Amino acid sequence: MSVVINTHSLPLSDFRLGQKGLIAQYTNERIAGKLIAMGALPGQKLQLVRTAPFGGALYVKNGKYIIALRKEEAACIIMSNEKND
Amino acid sequence: MRKTIESKKQATIALVGNPNSGKTSIFNLLTGLQQKTGNFPGITVDKKVGTVPINKDQSFKLIDYPGAYSFYPNAQDERLVVQSFCNPEEEDFPDAFIYIADITKLDKHLLLFSQIQDIGKPVVLGLNMADLAEKENCLVDHQKLSKKINAPVVLTSGRTGEGKKELVKIAEDLLNDNNFKPSKGFRALSQPEKQVAKKIKPLFPGTNDYQAVLIAHHHEWLDFLSKDQKETIADIVQAEDFESLKIQVEDTMYRYNHFTPLLKDVNCVTKDSISKFTERVDRILTHKIIGPLIFFAIMFSVFHAIFVWASYPMDWIDAGFGWIVNTLNSTMPDSWFTHLLTDGVLAGLGGILVFIPQIAILFFLISLLEEAGYMARVVYLFDSIMQKFGLNGRSLIALISSSACAIPAIMSTRTISNWKERLITILVTPLISCSARIPVYTVLIAFAFPAKTVGGIFNLQALAFMGLYLLGIAFAFIFALIFKWVLKKNEYSFLMLELPDYKLPMLRNVGLNVWDKVRAFVMEAGKIILFISIILWVLANFGPTGKMQAAEQEAITFAATEQLSESDTENLIASKKLEASFAGVLGKAIEPAVQPLGFDWKMGIAIITSFAAREVFVGTMATIYSIGSDAEEFSVREQMARERNPITGEAMYNTATSVSLLIFYVFAMMCMGTLAVVKKETGSWKWATLQFFFMTGLAYLSSFVVYNWLS
Repeated sequence: MSVVINTHSLPLSDFRLGQKGLIAQYTNERIAGKLIAMGALPGQKLQLVRTAPFGGALYVKNGKYIIALRKEEAACIIMSNEKND
Repeated sequence: MRKTIESKKQATIALVGNPNSGKTSIFNLLTGLQQKTGNFPGITVDKKVGTVPINKDQSFKLIDYPGAYSFYPNAQDERLVVQSFCNPEEEDFPDAFIYIADITKLDKHLLLFSQIQDIGKPVVLGLNMADLAEKENCLVDHQKLSKKINAPVVLTSGRTGEGKKELVKIAEDLLNDNNFKPSKGFRALSQPEKQVAKKIKPLFPGTNDYQAVLIAHHHEWLDFLSKDQKETIADIVQAEDFESLKIQVEDTMYRYNHFTPLLKDVNCVTKDSISKFTERVDRILTHKIIGPLIFFAIMFSVFHAIFVWASYPMDWIDAGFGWIVNTLNSTMPDSWFTHLLTDGVLAGLGGILVFIPQIAILFFLISLLEEAGYMARVVYLFDSIMQKFGLNGRSLIALISSSACAIPAIMSTRTISNWKERLITILVTPLISCSARIPVYTVLIAFAFPAKTVGGIFNLQALAFMGLYLLGIAFAFIFALIFKWVLKKNEYSFLMLELPDYKLPMLRNVGLNVWDKVRAFVMEAGKIILFISIILWVLANFGPTGKMQAAEQEAITFAATEQLSESDTENLIASKKLEASFAGVLGKAIEPAVQPLGFDWKMGIAIITSFAAREVFVGTMATIYSIGSDAEEFSVREQMARERNPITGEAMYNTATSVSLLIFYVFAMMCMGTLAVVKKETGSWKWATLQFFFMTGLAYLSSFVVYNWLS
């Protein structure tokens, strides 16, 4: 399940609305533990769908689940381009 | 609560699964009405317990645990799960497990299953929502899966009832150990884990290696550890250089890497499991602007519905009680017992049972929203705003359910992992008007606001009702902000929340929830009210020796000189006697304290009794006012409307007094059950005491201001 981080890697918090990518790695073990338990494993696709009002939470999905994340939480998820799968 | 269901010999099975796996539906399916919850005054327990019959003579105890993703939790509710399973000494430690997984999400839901297997007790895997899977052609070869994971597998559906018999049958087999040995475990421990386990295991007889490792991971917060034990384990963890967080992630990844291949040829995981319907609905309901608007519209409708729909059944109950009282009064002999029954017990009970329709409707609508999957969206929408007030998106669930009852609401804060956010939520939650205030509001609003239609469609009293709710909400947020500034900052805070697929609410789940809450209200509140009604009746009918006769004599003389009519004389005698009774003495004693708020000594008595539970107010009023009145007019409201100020002769329940009293009930902390739960959930009386004083102080101050402004 290891995924090589490419030079174009970007934290999920910097995604544009609608942008998709693959989870490359987590930079925080606590958040990694929780999100992996929820099924968000490295290598999986994620899409930023929308954000909540007043600079609020991120609505993130792939085909199997929808997760609500705070910006700070999303900043700990480093994403890579889909092509590098 | 724990020991109540039959003897100790009864076997215990734990029901476990991820959040949104449909676990509760299976619990309801298996136990039906044979279940108990502790969401009400006095009986605060952590889990739902039910009895499942196997055959005529045998049954097992089924315990429903909160939904959890893994054995490495952050929030209190998930912690409860792992805590219960790493201590074999615990009374409710299960003999076997029923694990419920969503068949369409097996690729995630097997994580906790594999951890449960390592506890070393037999496990049966229930693949839930089998009906949905069939519809979408997502079939699972469950026999093949059973061999691969080394555990029996049953297809179940909480919706259609599929798999119920088979699940019970296998549970019986697991308990009798006919066909199934305890599972041999899913994962072998790594070297550092083994080292730690070797040292910790001897400290806890009966634990296996994995349980010992879990104790090492979680020793800081496990409840069953003594202070010394925690220190010992902390030393071991440090000496062995046990990197807890890193090992947790490794353990989790190992499990995924090993069960994912197992699923390859038994499961149709290729298909996306989020429904198109959910995505389409979310485009509107979680929309940046429309989403919050819809939320407020829903809340508005809910409270409007409570007021409007409930009025008919309430009238029937009121009329029914009136009829019973009249019948008893005319058929039973005129004795003290008849008076105790009609003026004390029935008056008190009738005053409170009449509010069942409102409470039922409120719980019905809230559990409907919860079941449909809407509540998680509310958390998502408002998390950032809640954070500005020192709260968490999840706090909103507590605040909303608090409009039904603060006790389950406070217990629901266990999903908030950050202690400060959780504490603030607990402290301000009781400011939200709960269903126990409904009776008080309903009675008093009638005096404060005329029943007329404004703006074409809105009932003014319904609007006032909503205004009281808004007042509570506003002050909950103001105080959250104050606490945010005052309390110390600490630790990390999470949102990370899964938004489940929308689904049609299951009537059984909603119905059981409503039934459970209403029954608890009637039984628990009923007991308190019955008790207080009887005491009150005694206090109101007896007084210091000679005082009551003297008062009666005085009234008769006064009536004779003033030449009052017969009924006026009777009323005067009754009220003079009440004034001279023990209840009168008590009320008079606190009158100076409540007079600045516009209350008289009769209301003083009601306020004192309300500190047990605020719904007692109406019952108390009913008891006080039915003493000395002709029982023809049973309705409390009518009797209160007739009450006159003895000095001015004006209606006692004028606008200023009624509004002042309403405000008092919005803010005052008058519920022993809530204080007990706050003490339990925060671990000390400190916070419960603080809550009592800040709320009651706020109530006194606001009532004072409002009364003086209006009068």
